[in-house]
Amino acid sequence: MQALAARFGPSVLALAGALAVSAVIILIAGRDPAVAFGALWHGAFGSADSLSEVAVKTCPLLLCGLAIAISFQAGVWNIGVEGQLLMGALAMAALGTHDLPLPAGVTLGAYLVAAAFAGSLWAGIAGVLKLRRNVNEVISTITLNFVALGLIGYLVQGPLMEAGGRYPQTDAILPALWMPRLVLGHRAHVGLVLALLTAGAMQVLLYRGVAGYEMRAAGLNAAAARLAGIDVDGRLLLSLLVSGALAGLAGGIEVSAVTHRLYEHFSPGWGFTAIAVGLLGRLSPAGVMVAAVFFGALDAGSNAMQRAAGVSSVLVSIIQAVVILSLVALERGRWLPGRRTAQEKHLAGVS
Amino acid sequence: MNMAPLLAVRGVSKRFGNTQALADVTLEFRASEIHAVLGENGAGKSTLMHILAGIYRPDAGTVLLDGRRAVFNSPREARRAGIGMVHQHFTLVDTLTVAENLTLSLPQQTGWRYTAAATAAEATALSERVGLDLSPPQSTVAELPVGARQRIEILKALAHAERVLILDEPTAVLTPQEVRKLFAMLRKLRAQGRLIIFITHKLREVREIADRVTIMRRGHVVGSFDLALLSESEMAEHMIGDVVPARPRVTERARGDVVLNVTRLSARGERDLPALLDVSFVVRAGEVFGIAGVDGNGQRELFEVLAGLRAPSGGALSVRGSPVPDFTPRALLAAGIGHIPPDRQHDGLVLPMTVQENFLLSRTLLDRCSRRGLLNAKAARRLGAKAARSADLRGDLDAPARSLSGGNQQRVVVARALAQRPAVLVAANPSRGLDIAATRAVADALLDSACHGCAVVLISTDLDEVLDLSDRVAVLSRGRLSPALEPPIDIEQLGLLMGGVQH
Repeated sequence: MQALAARFGPSVLALAGALAVSAVIILIAGRDPAVAFGALWHGAFGSADSLSEVAVKTCPLLLCGLAIAISFQAGVWNIGVEGQLLMGALAMAALGTHDLPLPAGVTLGAYLVAAAFAGSLWAGIAGVLKLRRNVNEVISTITLNFVALGLIGYLVQGPLMEAGGRYPQTDAILPALWMPRLVLGHRAHVGLVLALLTAGAMQVLLYRGVAGYEMRAAGLNAAAARLAGIDVDGRLLLSLLVSGALAGLAGGIEVSAVTHRLYEHFSPGWGFTAIAVGLLGRLSPAGVMVAAVFFGALDAGSNAMQRAAGVSSVLVSIIQAVVILSLVALERGRWLPGRRTAQEKHLAGVS
Repeated sequence: MNMAPLLAVRGVSKRFGNTQALADVTLEFRASEIHAVLGENGAGKSTLMHILAGIYRPDAGTVLLDGRRAVFNSPREARRAGIGMVHQHFTLVDTLTVAENLTLSLPQQTGWRYTAAATAAEATALSERVGLDLSPPQSTVAELPVGARQRIEILKALAHAERVLILDEPTAVLTPQEVRKLFAMLRKLRAQGRLIIFITHKLREVREIADRVTIMRRGHVVGSFDLALLSESEMAEHMIGDVVPARPRVTERARGDVVLNVTRLSARGERDLPALLDVSFVVRAGEVFGIAGVDGNGQRELFEVLAGLRAPSGGALSVRGSPVPDFTPRALLAAGIGHIPPDRQHDGLVLPMTVQENFLLSRTLLDRCSRRGLLNAKAARRLGAKAARSADLRGDLDAPARSLSGGNQQRVVVARALAQRPAVLVAANPSRGLDIAATRAVADALLDSACHGCAVVLISTDLDEVLDLSDRVAVLSRGRLSPALEPPIDIEQLGLLMGGVQH
């Protein structure tokens, strides 16, 4: 219980701070925070339809949040989840217009694996650069986001542009490959179930698996992990590949279940919101689940808030930003190399 | 020569946690002398110098400059009073030029304009004023050899510290040619009337360069001596003191077969300089083999090679007759070598993880507590509980390792190493920074494992510890390992070996 409080206390604090800051901003804008938050809540949880929308928004955030969690836990700052998601979406969009001589469900499964693989491959570039050339993964993954974005821009206006040639987007994937819905008439889809199962699998990997233990140890103290005989480089690479696979899977599911095709500005920045999700969930799969639902609800409810209370949905971005900044500030020790006191230095024989 | 003291300390004491680094130290330095301060690791040399240079403040006692009381709250204040220090680790900006590095340290920085020409002129003026040759002022520091960088450091220190120059083991990183140059330079600075304080543990250097020497031991000053009146073996004796030779073993341990056989091991260290040269030794089952010596003589590199963290440039290692295939942590662990690293927080523990999780931090133990890639929580718990019992560690195993005291952290590291049931246990400075109870617990654990047939290698700069626990002792000095000494150990011989004098 105490450990739980220690782990998630900063999250609660950050969340409270974010809500307080946004309340002040709503006040400054001359609106009533209570009305705005009420509209937000109603927009997210007020009806079956809105609940279904929360499920739709939660799915990519959950998978991308897990991608953040697994890489950050291994000490790999994968900021390229957005690009990896786009590559997964690209794989699904490109393959999904073709049929395989297999049952539709099997084909869809195979294509989702391909999407995960594409994301993994994209992350793997940064991994190889880090291990072979000592390129900081923050730089390389951020840069690869732009490369992915540019690549997709080119493809949807060129080789992969729809047959009609009217809009810069791909052809729709075959209807047989559309992700089944959970309830008829609502957009919520089976992808959410997949994402939840994945979260369970990540929880097992990180906290029951030897590989997960080794990733966490390598992320927290690479020197000690190395001395213990752990293949630190291999674990860093594995975490990055798994992270990319989760992001790619998120992209593949989104194409299959929601958009059915790929176009520029396909992602509203899930890969970046995912950083807030991962941090708010304290990088634990269980925590990420809760955080993803929270951000999914914010996203789904923000339009209702804009309509009902006249508060711009941009407020959601502010909440995200405050969450990230306050968590990073609260976790100073983990994010920056801590200073050693004179006494510690002395004992370690530095002086 | 002016015999009145230029700089003096009276009754200075300093404590770090439960370590008394300096105890009531009184000592005088004169102008125009090169004054060596000699002592083992932990003798208090560096702490005393840090007090003189304004880095630490003494808990008690005073510093006198020209007979007047001086209080330095910062290195800047010490510099203003004329005292500069050159540290072992350089403080240069590698990507800037020599001139720019010097300008950075000049006291008066006026205006906001920067011109390369003006900077170079200032640097040249400084080097002429001091009378030291400078490397081309426009060359980048990163291009320069270590000796040249040290000269810049010395110039930097002299730029505002006109009267006293403190050098902390300046020869540790230098080649013999560079040492000769350094000494010539120090003599020149002495001729200009400066006081030069020279920290070292090398007896030969003291003899070669110093006018007087102060010998320190465990935070106390043994005495200050004129070099003319002191032999090297007397110096060694003063440095090591009256340590009792290894006391007879309480428990008779049967010495078994050779377990660890190290042959002609060589390795390169920092800056790719040779750090280990043809080191050979054998350790038998049930034996504690002590490797004494002063830090910076290859201790770190030897541990790293034996742990698989540093690839040797030559030599071989076998455990129970079978050679180790390659020098990786995994291969050495698999061969049955366990470790107690010198810096437990850096290399021994993952502090944010729980104590229980830290007990598993070893490939051997992870393999033992897992099946098909999944941890067996029950087996892991059992192992943790057993290790905690053997280490006499009470308390919550689910608390983060960070929350433990230093002594208890070390108990975790030791218990984990022993839980692997190693054939060989390599311990490096295992009791550094620990209180008496924890030190004793570590010592007991090492002796206990030897009793159970483990071959223990104890690499330690704490001579008491080595003499107390070891069956045989060898000295590692400048990368070479002396022949092993057997009890009764001749202290004078040991001291000479530690001071770098080979017989």
